[in-house]
Amino acid sequence: MKLAVPRRHRSIALAYLLLLVLVVVGRIVASGFLGVDHIDELIDEGALIGFVALGQGFVILAGGVDLSIPWVVTSAGILVTTFTGTNSSNMLWDVPLIIGLAAVVGLINGIGVVFLGVTPIIMTLGMSTVVEGALLLYTNGSAGGNVPHPAVFLATHKIGQVPVMGLAWLVLIVVVTFTLSCTPFGRRLYAVGLNRRVALFSGVDVKLVTCSVYVISSCAAAFAGIALAGYVGQSYLGMGDPYLFTSIAAVAIGGASILGGTGNYIGTVAGALTLSVLNALLPTLGFQPAVLDIVYGMVILVAVAAASLGGRARTD
Amino acid sequence: MSRQANESGILSARGVSKSFGGVAALHDVSFDVLPGEIHALVGENGAGKSTLVKIIAGALSPDAGEVLFKGDPFKPSDPGAAAEAGIGIVFQELPLIPDLTVAENVFFDRQPLTRVRTVARRRLRAECVEAFERFSLTGIDPEAQVRDLSVASRQLVAILKALAADPSLLVLDEATAALGPSEVTWLLEQVRAAAEAGVAVIYISHRLAEIADICQRLTVLRNGESVGSWRNGELESEELVRAILGRRLGQLYPGIPPTVKPKVMLETKGLRAGRRLRNLDLQVKEGEILGIAGLEGQGQLELILSLYGMLTSHGSIFVDGVEHRINSPRDALRAGIGLALVPEDRKTEGLLPTLTIRENLALPVLHRVSHLGYISSQKEAELVGPTIHRLNIGRQDPSQLAGDLSGGNQQKVVVGKFLISGARVLLLYDLTRGVDVGAKAEMFLTLNELAAEGYSMLFYSSDVTELVNVAHRIVVMFDGLVCADLLNDGSLDEEMIVAHMLNAADRTGVVGSLVR
Repeated sequence: MKLAVPRRHRSIALAYLLLLVLVVVGRIVASGFLGVDHIDELIDEGALIGFVALGQGFVILAGGVDLSIPWVVTSAGILVTTFTGTNSSNMLWDVPLIIGLAAVVGLINGIGVVFLGVTPIIMTLGMSTVVEGALLLYTNGSAGGNVPHPAVFLATHKIGQVPVMGLAWLVLIVVVTFTLSCTPFGRRLYAVGLNRRVALFSGVDVKLVTCSVYVISSCAAAFAGIALAGYVGQSYLGMGDPYLFTSIAAVAIGGASILGGTGNYIGTVAGALTLSVLNALLPTLGFQPAVLDIVYGMVILVAVAAASLGGRARTD
Repeated sequence: MSRQANESGILSARGVSKSFGGVAALHDVSFDVLPGEIHALVGENGAGKSTLVKIIAGALSPDAGEVLFKGDPFKPSDPGAAAEAGIGIVFQELPLIPDLTVAENVFFDRQPLTRVRTVARRRLRAECVEAFERFSLTGIDPEAQVRDLSVASRQLVAILKALAADPSLLVLDEATAALGPSEVTWLLEQVRAAAEAGVAVIYISHRLAEIADICQRLTVLRNGESVGSWRNGELESEELVRAILGRRLGQLYPGIPPTVKPKVMLETKGLRAGRRLRNLDLQVKEGEILGIAGLEGQGQLELILSLYGMLTSHGSIFVDGVEHRINSPRDALRAGIGLALVPEDRKTEGLLPTLTIRENLALPVLHRVSHLGYISSQKEAELVGPTIHRLNIGRQDPSQLAGDLSGGNQQKVVVGKFLISGARVLLLYDLTRGVDVGAKAEMFLTLNELAAEGYSMLFYSSDVTELVNVAHRIVVMFDGLVCADLLNDGSLDEEMIVAHMLNAADRTGVVGSLVR
């Protein structure tokens, strides 16, 4: 049988192949790997990466990058514990408020990139520092409070055999995939990422599209922060730190070009799960956490190098 | 050995073949150039001209056959070796180094050195000025950085670089593609002078008028094979086009159809934009193809860009009698103006090569094919299908990637995008630059059909021959104004238009900035 994967989806198929290989390796070398409890954990951690990578994926697709994600995650996590505490009924108001605040951060990122012409790396890095400072002022340097029940429910409970967070992720996967492949916004986003000038010439509102990806990214990061607070049962400064690299790595492993214009969320899902499996597998093999960082770094570099080599082969 | 050299000239190719991955780019091609001869190489894109040039330059080596240079088998290991042997080549893609100055580029591999082997700047500058004088090129500062030059000026520098090395064989591969008429005239003069001094010239161009003007002999390539060699004038122009295309299309220009209706579709009053567009009044009628001529940089690009909302403009723009404010391409599309643009660096800006034909065509009209927020693939197919069919794009498979299409077909997609968008006025900016003869012929037929359907077109081309054969009316622009408005009723020819372009320049005394 001939393998019928369209050219543009080949790198995504590759991401799933990588995931499969890791799972098989894990089953062979580590006993208890992928047991029933373990699978839930892999899905939950994959989902957290998947939430941040969702937003990062939109930004990268448009040809930018969002470095403000970690502190938006942290802020959302801390705000949800300090504002809301254990009083669940407040959450009805607080969650939209937190996500709204994040949207403002994203909007400022977008405005800076689009209207002030600041490069995305500098703009989002600057914003990240601003958010960090504001949060330190607000918390006086120490986070506290309790995680509200709905966040805990989202992050740790199950409906039947299925983790709630996994279900939430599934819903997001469907919505995002549909948005990217079947809506005018998705199509315009690809056009902007591939070539802004062509998009502009074709009547696409490039500024609006670019702005909106940063808003989406911050909102997704805030959602991830709330879920993360529920997952770890507390909030602390720096809780979002690991999610900068993982968000970019998940998108890169998922077959998207780091330069924008290609890839989709289905690939990013494979990237997020791959990272979550790596996360679980490396310690069981006796590697220290530091090794994990080395592996992450290598993975990103290899993915980016592969993407640029692939790009060169295409233009030759 | 010497007998052969006398017979076959300075460079001869003997049965040269070259394949890429099983596809023959050249098959058993033989031809030769005599000293002092200008020999044109013509054919469609993909006919094998550039492959042949690359073999001569040493960038590729032939699979079979050989190249003789001055009678000896010639196998340059790389382009540097070819240059040392006395072969000067002006490539299609400009191989200048943007961060170096003009002088440093012209003398790139043979800069004058001081005793401690650093570049002797003053001598370099002097030698460059001398080269400029020797080849009567003016208007370019030898100290300017190449990145700050216009594409045409860069091309002139590349040509100067090849000439200044005193080659015994000069190869010009599409050297005029980026040049305006006066610059082409300069180039042809220099080429003639070089040939008179005994230099052999291989001249490659899609512009058949130039070839008729300058060459002594021409060789036609088609699908990697040599169709034949003729002396200039031996073939009628229709016969030549047929030799280039095979039996596909009989002629390049389909003739100008009487499709102009009285209604004014596009009108500008006192249009100003940037520094170069000063005060432009223009009318385009329904079904009219209005040609825009002018020396480079007289506001043509600014006119097109401001009509398309890419450049802030002042003054009034009327489409079909209604005044529109056009501040973005979105506004332009809404007003019914579409733009098909080939930018100066030759890569098409109207197209996303990694998306399919369908996705490209639907991009400006996504709001029309979507329903409840998602794109209806049925509506999309209904809208896109007829356009693909009618413009005869590629294999007519909408899911083909746009990047896999030939240059001519890609241009059709760009035009098709704006037909679908409902534009009634099409802005065509150098649509045929670098497009081969076959695709050009098809493009002109398409323009005629569109005119017959009442589309109005603003057609800018740097090729005056094209304007004379395609446009109903030609306006000559100079210094941001219309300096002549000529009805193309059969009495116009290329020389008259060029004369208008140059006259305006003479009158206003800005000749110094132009190539004479």
